[in-house]
Amino acid sequence: MSDIEAYSERAREWLQSVAGEFGGAVRKGLSDAENLALGRRYLKARFDAGYAGINWSPEFGGQGLTHIEKVAFEAEEMKFSMPSGFFGISLGMPVPILMKYCEDKAFAKERVLKALQGEEIWCQLFSEPAGGSDLAGLRLRAEQDGNGWKLNGQKLWTSFAQYSDYGVIVARTDPTVAKHKGLTYFWVDMKSPGVEVRPVKLAAGDHMVNEVFFDDVRIDDSNRLSPVGGGFSVAMATLMIERYTATDSAGFGPHLDLFISLAKETKIGGKPAIEDGRIRQQIARNYAMRNGLDAITARAMLMMRAGMEPGPEGSLNKLVSVRSRQKLSELAIDLQGTDALHYDDQASSKDDWQASWIGAPTGRIAGGADEMLLNTIAERILGLPQDHRPDKGVPFNQIPA
Amino acid sequence: MSLLYDEGQLAIAAETRKVLEARVNTKEMLALLEQQGLFHAPFWETAKQQGWTALALPEAYGGLDLTLVELGLIALQTGRTLAGAPFLTTSYGAARAVLDHGSEALKDAWLPRLASGEAIGAIAFAEGQEPVPALPTVTYAHGLLNGIKPSVSGGSQAHLAIVLASEAGTPVLVAADLTGAERQVFHTFDNSRCTANLVFQNTSATLLASGDAALQAALHVLALQSVVTAHEQTGGAEALIEQARDYANTRRAFGQPIGAFQSVKHRIAELYGLVELARANALQAAASEGQPGFLKVAAAARIQATEAYDTAARDCVQVHGGIGVTWEGGLHLHMRRSRTLAVEQGNLLFWEDVLVDQLTGEMA
Repeated sequence: MSDIEAYSERAREWLQSVAGEFGGAVRKGLSDAENLALGRRYLKARFDAGYAGINWSPEFGGQGLTHIEKVAFEAEEMKFSMPSGFFGISLGMPVPILMKYCEDKAFAKERVLKALQGEEIWCQLFSEPAGGSDLAGLRLRAEQDGNGWKLNGQKLWTSFAQYSDYGVIVARTDPTVAKHKGLTYFWVDMKSPGVEVRPVKLAAGDHMVNEVFFDDVRIDDSNRLSPVGGGFSVAMATLMIERYTATDSAGFGPHLDLFISLAKETKIGGKPAIEDGRIRQQIARNYAMRNGLDAITARAMLMMRAGMEPGPEGSLNKLVSVRSRQKLSELAIDLQGTDALHYDDQASSKDDWQASWIGAPTGRIAGGADEMLLNTIAERILGLPQDHRPDKGVPFNQIPA
Repeated sequence: MSLLYDEGQLAIAAETRKVLEARVNTKEMLALLEQQGLFHAPFWETAKQQGWTALALPEAYGGLDLTLVELGLIALQTGRTLAGAPFLTTSYGAARAVLDHGSEALKDAWLPRLASGEAIGAIAFAEGQEPVPALPTVTYAHGLLNGIKPSVSGGSQAHLAIVLASEAGTPVLVAADLTGAERQVFHTFDNSRCTANLVFQNTSATLLASGDAALQAALHVLALQSVVTAHEQTGGAEALIEQARDYANTRRAFGQPIGAFQSVKHRIAELYGLVELARANALQAAASEGQPGFLKVAAAARIQATEAYDTAARDCVQVHGGIGVTWEGGLHLHMRRSRTLAVEQGNLLFWEDVLVDQLTGEMA
């Protein structure tokens, strides 16, 4: 057994030992507040067991291992449906950025330790009504105010903002230069006067995302995490941190085995659906596609272990898997006929076709819409031209609305 | 076997590509379309010289003792350049049938000749719409074959055929020396595949397997060939993406390269996804040979590769507009090859059923 396999096995054993306290089975029917409270206890247990900040420096309470162990742990953790979701973004992006860019190391260390143990949560205040895919088109202003800054404007789609203690934020500090060049990156205390969080109810009925309003919110210049006007590159660095993360070829929807079981239990024209060519074709095509994604992931892991940079094909997972989850979920609803109309708001998208179906569009939009992913593949991997961009090189305040 | 190519394997791929690009060209391939039953001799000479024919066969019989992974790498490159003969795949399939099921005498008689490329092998299982018929119409009795195996790839040139036949109502797999067997050559949309009907009239043949074992053996040989073909299909699709990309970057319309239009660039980006999924499946299947579950991943590789090559051929022609449908442009060579490869080793419909049977059997 290789070192990494031994590591995974130890992780699995630990996860198994706490599954009865935190796992998917005991979380059924819990409210958001109860899930969050359970999640905080799980993070503390995870920290104490040595599985927190796996690839972070011990100086910040991490384990000092590599992203290989991190991904290996995540792959195991995913199987147990642990209540770690509230902390995923916090520990995935804002906190690593704080570690890297915050000059007050003592402050950063205190925050990192609290975040790792589930005591504090950070959110990422990037997207706005006018800037999602086009991040650099954001409008929230930061104006100099004495020796600090004053924030005014609105963020949107901010995950878990209502539970967050702090956030990282990109703001426009100079509207007279081209859009990428007038941005600056800060951290902000979410309890500051003038910050207002309003949850946005999504189609699936959940309230994970928010709109966040900033009305004359005062921050110190020491909150600044980039040079003035240098925020865009730190924002890009934020998005790159999550490059090495566990993936799911089921697109965070149900496993194909569940579809096969459904096809065995249901009938088309009086015959088992599993004997129907249309259903068989979808099973075969989806299996081949997911098997390809799994093989790509397995190869990327081998490359990382061999000290190589994995190929760009890893970027296909989200694009391909979530689309297929969406269509397969529709077909699974068809298979159930009118029985499919029963609906449970609390069901998990990992094992319920209705929940998977209604949440799938979010998956195709959040964290890079399909169209943006296709553009990235076309431009970065294949070397095709950028889209025509009328705002290119134009000062932000002169871009036609 | 690993999912990572080692340095030696990468060197094989690079060398193969170099050699093939120097010796195979569109013009000669176009000429072959207008002749029946012929193949591209310089390609086959190259395959023999380079040892590709010997690659995945045992050293004891003149082989190089490498694996399906290396053969797959060669096939990927032949797919890129539209190699002008099907024998790398068909001879390998025939050799494996002899190796896995033949007597020592049969192995001694055929394997060294197949390894050197002196002899060409072919697989004759399919009859019309059935890739592996449970009770073939070709009969086998007292060591003699009778009947017609239709549309056998490599059939016009093969010296040895592995034939799925019936013996008194039982399926049998036999090896037939084709010396003296009649071959009916006809016009196909991809003539360099040397497709022919094999007409057996008291053709002597040697029994390899009988009953259910014969069907299982045939399916396994077809799966091995499918994995080789999946690499070839992936290579063809990969070459098409590059052509589509290059054309989209240079051809201008409405004041910009057509690749700047999302309808074009996204189409090509989608192809990239299909090709990488096909590549990953093909390598995984090749690396899984000899392990439990091989049939399942071979089927997955076959399905994904067929989808990738078909789609790439369709979309690459579309991106090229008018020039894409000219004879001289040669993109139709890939259209022809993609559909030929799609049906040669059992079509999509067949492999989808094989895969689902494997998946549902696994869960039962």
